[in-house]
Amino acid sequence: MEEKISFWDRHRLSLLLVITVGIATVLTCVSVAIYNMSGAAQLDLSRPGYLSVSSQAEKTDSINGYSSTGSVNKQTIQSFLKQYDEQIQKAKSVDAFSGDPLNPDVLEFGTPASE
Amino acid sequence: MRRALSIISLSVLMTGFLFAFTDVKVGAEDLTPDQSAQIKANCVSIKNSVSQLHASDALLRVNRGQTYEAVAGKLMDPFNSRLASNQLDNRAMTAVTSDYRTSLDAFRNDYIAYEQKLSATLRIDCTAKPNSFHASLVEARELRAKVHADVLRLHQLLDDYHSSVSDFLLNYERVSQ
Repeated sequence: MEEKISFWDRHRLSLLLVITVGIATVLTCVSVAIYNMSGAAQLDLSRPGYLSVSSQAEKTDSINGYSSTGSVNKQTIQSFLKQYDEQIQKAKSVDAFSGDPLNPDVLEFGTPASE
Repeated sequence: MRRALSIISLSVLMTGFLFAFTDVKVGAEDLTPDQSAQIKANCVSIKNSVSQLHASDALLRVNRGQTYEAVAGKLMDPFNSRLASNQLDNRAMTAVTSDYRTSLDAFRNDYIAYEQKLSATLRIDCTAKPNSFHASLVEARELRAKVHADVLRLHQLLDDYHSSVSDFLLNYERVSQ
């Protein structure tokens, strides 16, 4: 006697594949959305368009750490200040995002009429 | 009920039209026909300049961001902890560190907004839509100025932290004498 097989029983493998691909697509969409919204995309210099500058990225930061343990006295505070001054000179050495490179005059299409 | 729904739908539609109209008007009055023609003619070179800026700003964000993060994590926090573990008053330094972290968050978020706007600008076809391109560029320019303001604020807070530690040292010397 022939056993009656339902539609879903016959297509179990196909269904499994469809669900798997569906889950993978949803998870990929979620991870790409997180990548874009979290700010990780902005730090990713391996993206197309950034290859020319990616080699110039600093692999390690140049700041030497200060110990969070130990006693505090005049000498340790002075030594911290000396170390801090040296490090913040490096941090402040570049006036990042200064200038106005997106000014229409700089981009050579004149000053907007409303300005 | 149906009447109320119709009124709401009509209001939403009218508001939408009003916003759409206002947007077009703002974009159009910022750009003269001459400028529009110039954007169309120099589209490729303008986009090249913006692309280069996009890449160099990304590098700046990575390198500067790393340094700013390290100052807080490797210098401010350990020193504050050291003072706290020695039962010394670190409130002034902690307050500056907190402001610094807040400004660092603002720097991160403002840079994300700026980068997204600049990327959107680069996707606009400036030969076909010079007005939209210009409007987007103006917005990106304003967002970049905001990022620069964040950087200046961070530099100010680095100085403030130095002043707080110097004041702490003076007090410490006075008390320990």
